[in-house]
Amino acid sequence: MATRAVVVAGSAATAALLLVLGLVLGLHWGSAQGTPTAGSVDAGFSLDMQAHHRQAVEMSTLVLDRSDDEVLRAVARDIQLTQQQQAGQMYGWLEQWGLGQGRTEPVMGWMAGHEAAPGMSGHDMSGHEVAVTSDGLGSVAEMPGMATPDQMAALEAADGVEAERIFLQLMTTHHVAGVQMAQVAAAEADDAQVRHLASAMATGQQAELTVLGDLLDERGGPVAGV
Amino acid sequence: MAQQTSPREERAARAAALREQQRRKERRQRGLVIGVTAAVVVALVAAVAVVLVLTRNERAAEQEALEAPIEGVQTFEDLGRDHVTGTVDYPQTPPVGGDHQAVWWNCGIYTEPVVDENAVHSMEHGAVWITYDPALPQDQVDQLVAAAEPYDYTLVSPYEGMASPVTLSAWGVQLAVEDASDERIAPFLSQYVQGEQTPEPGAACTGGVS
Repeated sequence: MATRAVVVAGSAATAALLLVLGLVLGLHWGSAQGTPTAGSVDAGFSLDMQAHHRQAVEMSTLVLDRSDDEVLRAVARDIQLTQQQQAGQMYGWLEQWGLGQGRTEPVMGWMAGHEAAPGMSGHDMSGHEVAVTSDGLGSVAEMPGMATPDQMAALEAADGVEAERIFLQLMTTHHVAGVQMAQVAAAEADDAQVRHLASAMATGQQAELTVLGDLLDERGGPVAGV
Repeated sequence: MAQQTSPREERAARAAALREQQRRKERRQRGLVIGVTAAVVVALVAAVAVVLVLTRNERAAEQEALEAPIEGVQTFEDLGRDHVTGTVDYPQTPPVGGDHQAVWWNCGIYTEPVVDENAVHSMEHGAVWITYDPALPQDQVDQLVAAAEPYDYTLVSPYEGMASPVTLSAWGVQLAVEDASDERIAPFLSQYVQGEQTPEPGAACTGGVS
């Protein structure tokens, strides 16, 4: 009799554990398969990388109006058209997920606690910390790699080779941070499409960094004081 | 006269009593094991249910705050979309839409007034234009800038002659508030920066004039 009771109790306990495990897995599976929420890596990346891309487009547009060099203009046009289109993909996802372009989460909040794969960028990023502002929702202008208003003004005021050098140095900084952000999303996003595009951005911008570096070297390196 | 029981009958009765006692004990133990197991099952299922419900409620609340209609927002329809070269006489102050210059005003923070005809074009591209009375105290201006900074589709600029110290405008919508700490400012931005009212979603707010 006592043995039967133990068997009954043991079976009931096992069934209960399986039920709970099933519910927990179901919950996890549901959130992993369902629409990304405002606090997800997917949504945070889509908002922040969109704004990051838009500044790259802005810089490319400026240098296209200021340079006659066919090689440099081809690189700038490539960045301008690619990043404008990629920004559109991220915009579309947010609309599809019913989140729109509004913010409820801090700028770069999705990066908190995640580190990009080290040694991938090939540039020294030591001492560069991804800051998440605790004051309200933060600032897109202060995302890593973003050119400051003064740097944008310097690019706008420059012409010819000087504009090309400023563009190349600002875009290098921009890409280095862009690669880091994209690497985190490529690893951490739930949505396979997001991981795929982020991964392509990381490798694409990484390759472009070599081109930007070569073009900058050919022109005498960065402009001092920018 | 009392009946005498034999020692044999006595032993049998004691044994029966012991067996009965043992059976009762086993029943109690079995009841206890089943009872405790049932309680554990109920507790675990309840805990999971509570987590599920709380998570769902949290999401629903977040979504509601984002989508809830904002009190005091005025809407305007039948706004012109033509490109003009001169000035336009807009019926609202500041304007919320209508005919405009071919070039848009670049989004950003401005300490000098911007041109209406260009700013209207920015709103057509999805920008929210935050305007403040030039007499607004600096700490309030700073608050408006902080509210705008999470976005790159915002314009902040002083504006003369408004009916209230601060006005938020997007294409076809406007909200007048008394000061920069008004709690409707954040939801307004969240709903209308590149919001559904945008006539040209995807259009830029850089590469114009400033």
